[in-house]
Amino acid sequence: MKFYTCILLGIIFSIFESSLLSFIPAEFLKPDVTIPFIIYTTFFHTPQAGLVTSIVMGIIQEVLSTSPNGSMIFSKVLIFLLALFFKNKLYIDSKYSFSNICAGAVVCESLIYILLSWLAKGETKHIENVLFFMFPNAIFTGFIAIFIFSFVRFLNMKFFNKD
Amino acid sequence: MVIIASILILVVSFFVFTGTPVFVKNYSRIKTFCSEIAGPALKVLGKPVDGMKYIFNNYINLINTKKENNALKKRIGELELENQKIYNLEEENKRLKSILKITEKNPGNYIVARVIGEDVKNWFKCIIIDKGRDDGLKEKMPIITPKGVVGQVVEVSKWHSKVMTIGDVNSSVDVNVEGRDTRGILEGTDHTVLRLKYITKNDEIEIGDKLVTSGKDGIYPKGIPAGIVIAINKNKAGIFYDIEVMPYNNFKRLEEVIVVRRR
Repeated sequence: MKFYTCILLGIIFSIFESSLLSFIPAEFLKPDVTIPFIIYTTFFHTPQAGLVTSIVMGIIQEVLSTSPNGSMIFSKVLIFLLALFFKNKLYIDSKYSFSNICAGAVVCESLIYILLSWLAKGETKHIENVLFFMFPNAIFTGFIAIFIFSFVRFLNMKFFNKD
Repeated sequence: MVIIASILILVVSFFVFTGTPVFVKNYSRIKTFCSEIAGPALKVLGKPVDGMKYIFNNYINLINTKKENNALKKRIGELELENQKIYNLEEENKRLKSILKITEKNPGNYIVARVIGEDVKNWFKCIIIDKGRDDGLKEKMPIITPKGVVGQVVEVSKWHSKVMTIGDVNSSVDVNVEGRDTRGILEGTDHTVLRLKYITKNDEIEIGDKLVTSGKDGIYPKGIPAGIVIAINKNKAGIFYDIEVMPYNNFKRLEEVIVVRRR
């Protein structure tokens, strides 16, 4: 699958998340649907593709959120760099290992956001909330990542003729 | 090469985050451009979501019933769905009537908007509405419903706007306790309940007291219901009470809101 298909899917999933989950009265059901796409392109495509995906995903999250300017791009690009670092150290052999890596990336993202707020502004007003949702978000993103991985693999085999 | 580019982007985004003017100005242009593309996409993708919402609200509860008996049960299900549809229409009618009551008083002062999305991060409490710059929306405009205060506009693009609800940790509303000479600041906690601050132990306040906006914060008009006091910790050390407030609006269930144009 071309990496821009991943980007397109990430954008569509994010917009669906914003509009679809607005009527589900559960705070915990908010996975970070962009993380699986960043991890996927970083591990299965070129580093350039991973970087472009992380930037686009960062921008789309800032567009659909009241997060401070630059924060999401910063955290997504840092997640990409971490994924790039671990690319040759971790091996994604199944959807479950992919899910675990995505869950770990969400935990990292929360910590990066707290660290960034603290470093840049000297304040971490959202710290309680970020910590409160860190593990539920990680678990739920990991869960969703299983389906995203299977879906991307399905698209690969069906339309892109590649395992 | 990629690593160098990534580090450069990290540095730039860090400066954007800290609010360095040169970076913020250029970044805002990119973000505005992206927002203007995302706005119509939200509206278009929101349409199938409406259908899914309808199914979620009305149909899922009936799945088991439908399995029990084919033809007759199916007919009952259909009728129930129709009834539910009528009920939903009645509810919508009620909501729109109550909105109309407010907007009819000063037609030029209010803009009715639909909620089309919410923040993709649960770290922030924000909703997205389908009215933007083209409809005359500006930042800091208050958002209300017939029930009470919702929040304020924090970001406006051509097609849509982002609204920070009063439940967000960055939100503060100057409020009065209805019928009493007590004033405080209502702050968001990022959870369902809000916190009423700076009410001294000499002030009069009881559980069940209603809070209304004071109009002194320069954002919200005076006299809009904000919430109801649900808990007071009088044993807290210090000169202030620790007070919990339940907002009148359920921000997860908002469908239409009113933007107050003039204050």
